[in-house]
Amino acid sequence: MDRLIEQHLLAVLNREGLEPKAGDLEQFSEIIGLYLDNLKQLHSVNLGAQELAPVFRPEWTEKK
Amino acid sequence: MAVTEKPLYYLSIHEAQQLIQKRQLSPVELAGAVLDRIAAVDAKLHAYINLTADSALAEARAAEAEVAHGNWRGPMHGIPIAVKDQLDVQGAPARIRQFSQGVGDATAVRKLREAGAVMMGKLHMSSLPDALPLPRNPWNTEHITGGSSTGSGAAVAGGLCLGSLGEDTAGSIRTPAAFCGIAGLKATYGRVSRYGLAPLSWSLDHCGPMARMVEDLAHMLNAIAGHDANDPTSSTAPVADYTASLREDVKGLVVGVPRDYIDACAPRTEGIVLQRVDEAIAVLKSMGAVIEAVKIPTLHLATIANAVIYYNEFWAAHKSNAAWVLRNGAAQRRARVYLGLLTGSADYIQAQRIRGRCRAELAEVFGKVNCLALPNQAGPAPLVKDVGPIDTLYKHVRPEFHGPFNLTGLPTLSVPCGFSDNQLPIALQLVGKPFDECTVLRAGYSYQQQMKWYERRPAL
Repeated sequence: MDRLIEQHLLAVLNREGLEPKAGDLEQFSEIIGLYLDNLKQLHSVNLGAQELAPVFRPEWTEKK
Repeated sequence: MAVTEKPLYYLSIHEAQQLIQKRQLSPVELAGAVLDRIAAVDAKLHAYINLTADSALAEARAAEAEVAHGNWRGPMHGIPIAVKDQLDVQGAPARIRQFSQGVGDATAVRKLREAGAVMMGKLHMSSLPDALPLPRNPWNTEHITGGSSTGSGAAVAGGLCLGSLGEDTAGSIRTPAAFCGIAGLKATYGRVSRYGLAPLSWSLDHCGPMARMVEDLAHMLNAIAGHDANDPTSSTAPVADYTASLREDVKGLVVGVPRDYIDACAPRTEGIVLQRVDEAIAVLKSMGAVIEAVKIPTLHLATIANAVIYYNEFWAAHKSNAAWVLRNGAAQRRARVYLGLLTGSADYIQAQRIRGRCRAELAEVFGKVNCLALPNQAGPAPLVKDVGPIDTLYKHVRPEFHGPFNLTGLPTLSVPCGFSDNQLPIALQLVGKPFDECTVLRAGYSYQQQMKWYERRPAL
């Protein structure tokens, strides 16, 4: 796994009080790398003024 | 004893309900036949993790008495149904909740009970906290069923229930439906209540029916669809009679095929799948449907957007269990924790904007077509020995055929469309407009009746 990615993952795990299971960082290195590469594609598109899909509506429905 | 051409456990829901209503088949006889079938083959299939035989027979006896007294509740009365473990059932909450309580019966389960269905028990799902045997594909037990509604695929295809409630976040109804040669419906998001469904991803989880026949999906959906005040995302959109238009033909139905997207996925899709899907589309055309190529530019980002939302929401929903998951959980669940933590708010927001853009593009396409048709899977069910513990996650993060329709919440039907050269099922996906399950069910029903792939059954 890329060293920066590993450090980042360990930092966020530590923030949450968690530790990775022994061997996981190596076992999941490929899927993590693939995921992060595809994540970059997500940001490669210019969405202009596109807003978030979920729309916040302040009205509430009565729960029975 | 009812006289049928096929074993009772392989009756469709539609066939069984006609016999039950006419008192030509007792629900007790039917439940008994299914229980005998389970005893005979589930040791090979590993579909059930909690078989409730005694209560099922009690429910069957109650159904028999009601029908005998003229109180037939409808098509689901006396029908043996099993439930993916992700759904809470009274006395058997979803195991992935681990440290939190279930709600008793999930709303969809309660509705099926109220319709008179006989609850046979709970079925295996992927990544259960306890290490239970992986369900096997009834068509060839050396092959997987696909997940995460693993037990549902095996049980329905193997005759261990007449229908099942499954759940789909990134293909978890459609994959086992495809691999096991049965029909499965991911209904529109909000069509079926998620109350009592242990969450994987709140905005992507869809509860839906799985059965051998498209008509049976319609019967099940009639029972479970509708608004539920206990689910804040439950829709108040009017509920149709999903059986009413099933038998209308597909003449003039405009079927959009996202050819560019299918071609982009082709390098990761086996040729036999593409061939069988093209053949199925040609059949629809021969039946009078109009086939049009459509373009949905943002579709190639929809799968990764779905994954980003999935892993973020999964992390949030399971955060309190995370320490346990990382120590003891299945590899898939551990991996989702890591991937969720690596995804930031900017990524989540971008994924939600992609969601909005994709939804707008699909709305424009559906202004010209009635449904979409495309493949359901990259290949037939792989061998158990060839599947690694996190292989499913590779599917989630590259363009494929399921995630875009969780992302956009559209009703999506999986219907068998043939077999591979080594006799494993292949399926077609039909996608409809929001809350237009009627159109995809009608198209799937027409195709299924034309081709009759359902006449082939696994040789268990």
